[in-house]
Amino acid sequence: MSVAVKNLTKRYGATVALDNVTLEIKSGEVHALLGHNGAGKSTVIGCLGGRTSPNEGVITIDGQDFTELSPQESIRQGIAVIYQHLSLIDSLTVTENLFLGLEKSRAGFVERSRQREIAWECLSRVGATARPGDRVGDLAMGQRQLVEIAKALRRDTNLLILDEPTAALSPTEAERLAILVDQLREEGIAILYVTHLLNEVMQLADRVTVLRSGSAVWSERTADITKADVVSAISGDHTAANIRPAPCDATVDALFELRGFSTEGLESLDLSLQPGEIVCLYGLIGSGRTRLLETVFGRRRYRGEVLVEGKSHLIRNPNDALKAGIALVPSDRIKQGLFGRLTAAENTVTRVMSTLARFAVRDWRQERRIVEDTTNSMSLRPNVPDLAASRYSGGNQQKILIGRWINSASEVKVLLLDDPTQGVDVGARSEIYEVIRTLAATRRISVLFSTNEPEEALALAHRVIFMREGKIDESLTTDELVEETLLERVHSDSLAHSSSAEPATARFPHTESLRKQ
Amino acid sequence: MNRTLTHRVFLGLVQSPLLVILIVMVVLVEMATGSQMSWGNLRGVLLDVAVIGIVAVPVGMLLIAGYIDLSVGSTLAIGGVCAALAVKHTESVWLGLGAALLVGALVGAINGLLVAVIGLSSLITTLGVLTAGRGVAQLMSPLPVSGFTPEFAFFGAGAVLGVPVPAVIAGVLFLFAGVFLIMTPRGRHVYALGVNREAAYLSGISTRLIPFALYMVSGACAGLAGALTAARLNSAPAGQLGAGFELAVLTAVLIGGIALTGGEGTMFGVLVGVLFMGLLTNSLTLLGVATFWQNVVSGLALVSAIIISLGTQRLRGKLLTLEAKRVATP
Repeated sequence: MSVAVKNLTKRYGATVALDNVTLEIKSGEVHALLGHNGAGKSTVIGCLGGRTSPNEGVITIDGQDFTELSPQESIRQGIAVIYQHLSLIDSLTVTENLFLGLEKSRAGFVERSRQREIAWECLSRVGATARPGDRVGDLAMGQRQLVEIAKALRRDTNLLILDEPTAALSPTEAERLAILVDQLREEGIAILYVTHLLNEVMQLADRVTVLRSGSAVWSERTADITKADVVSAISGDHTAANIRPAPCDATVDALFELRGFSTEGLESLDLSLQPGEIVCLYGLIGSGRTRLLETVFGRRRYRGEVLVEGKSHLIRNPNDALKAGIALVPSDRIKQGLFGRLTAAENTVTRVMSTLARFAVRDWRQERRIVEDTTNSMSLRPNVPDLAASRYSGGNQQKILIGRWINSASEVKVLLLDDPTQGVDVGARSEIYEVIRTLAATRRISVLFSTNEPEEALALAHRVIFMREGKIDESLTTDELVEETLLERVHSDSLAHSSSAEPATARFPHTESLRKQ
Repeated sequence: MNRTLTHRVFLGLVQSPLLVILIVMVVLVEMATGSQMSWGNLRGVLLDVAVIGIVAVPVGMLLIAGYIDLSVGSTLAIGGVCAALAVKHTESVWLGLGAALLVGALVGAINGLLVAVIGLSSLITTLGVLTAGRGVAQLMSPLPVSGFTPEFAFFGAGAVLGVPVPAVIAGVLFLFAGVFLIMTPRGRHVYALGVNREAAYLSGISTRLIPFALYMVSGACAGLAGALTAARLNSAPAGQLGAGFELAVLTAVLIGGIALTGGEGTMFGVLVGVLFMGLLTNSLTLLGVATFWQNVVSGLALVSAIIISLGTQRLRGKLLTLEAKRVATP
């Protein structure tokens, strides 16, 4: 049993998401898939899971060719995808989730005791400590994931796809998962392991394939390579050095400052940004970068001081933050940022409408002028201000949200961006970078953004602040950095409390002992 | 924007298919009976729908903001009884109307406190207030209050320049609400709230004050509607006043194109919805359709309205996509 894709190509309009990708996942093999965000990893998963139909190419499962798969066909062929956002229903028990849609019944009644027996078996197979009667919503992330895997294994799975499985797990939970992956390999299941983390790859995978801009550029056996090989394959030949931002004046007073800033999960941070300076918060999911941005924007109580232009502000809610001149573009655009049904124009003037109004009546002419200035300067596409915001692409929605905070009538001095290019396709990314760089340079605002993309950190920031477990680890200017250093660092970050000098096995000591047994 | 006038009119009609249906219906019924368009008949229709319109204005705005108010039927009863008692004892029309407005606003403030400030479900809370409110009205006056001054009766059925007083009040309210929603920042924030409450909060929009104020207005309008109804009936029976009124209002508002999910609809749409419901009932009466059948038709009208609005929404979406492509390709 093996699953292979040959010459897979997927286009979205003019954007090529996958370009002639070929790869094979053999049974009893862990195949790691690596690459930057937007390199095409999710599209490969989508094609195999039946969510996406490729334009060209074939998917071969056990000698049978498919030009595309439906979700049902994919399941029938024994493919199971464990997405980062799990598909379990929180309010149901473990057993109910395991049997959802496939209930064991007799004469129309669910056979509860029989289901519970099978559930015990499934759970012990994946080594979960959760009990069948537990509510899924009460379980820790790691246990939920094991339940999800148990659910997939119940359906005779031949290929298990794990999409960044350790992103939300604690180190102990990650170890537990590594043991399971090893065990499933022994059972002869093919595993496609999608990740950012090199240590996991070196530890678990038999083979590595690297995607870059939609192409499979590199594929090797793990035994034959080193981490450095993988890093250079991911980042490619081009260096980001030639597109670095213009330097900013380091001699003027700080525009934005945090002093002893702490909250739950963040420890006494000190931070200072100059006008026109772009600073990157670089770290993994859970390192506290999102929490820091959200707390500064008033979503959580904090201790310490927030200063804008040397003046201390008390920020209890987003409105306070905006009054102080601090604005946040959240990472979940659709849920937290956009008014999808309202027009692009209305999304742009949401905030400045009130300041422009005279005698509580809107100043339409001014609003229109601001909308046109903003959309033109950001080259919004399509430039139709009356079109509903939900109809724009991710990159253009992002432009609309940035335009909401930064326009000729706004008083925002500090712009916070959480993962500014999440879900933005590669072509639109550089445009977003350009917009941010221009705004910082011309309007002398301070920009603080978070990312886990080394490319993005180097392309956009003057300075990179490494975050780990709610603390600032180190702060370096981008001149001192190359992409490899950043990648190395994020991977050493994943080594819980050890330095990057230690061997790659540091994260999974139990796996080592298990293999020896 | 280089849109032609016909293009604009076409887009406008696509957006309010109900208006087209309304006009067609009126023309057909007028041809069949020859009596619908007489001023006497129209005045009757206006008088019938005016109280629904007065309450449909704030209820429509609440729905746009993503909230619902089911309590208006009982608030109307409380307002009616208060007004009746005040007029009866003081013989002052203004005290009567003032009492109805004030008590209604108080009920609205209770709704607003529970829903907008504390954050309870608006459906359950206002359903509870609907039931409790009816009891309160009956406690205040177990027997119908009746026998008012002629001044008070003027507010129920009198006319200014031939237009019934309640219809004039409704018209003014529609005008104010329409201007508020379109021309003021707060009005646009009502839409923003309904589309995405979290994004609204993160944009610094006050997510408590706006719905709280709307609930108070809703209560006050329902109270006023109660006073007008009592004046028209020359009696305030606490048990029957405004029974089922909340559903009549909701039907008119939804037919008028306000989405239950929030963030969508206009005051013009609500106005058309209110007039449509009134004229539909009137048409059926003029055509001699039996009362039971009238209910069947009204119900079907609501469902049809949803189907039609779904269809036109898709059509409108397609038109906008076409336009976007036209602009994108130079």
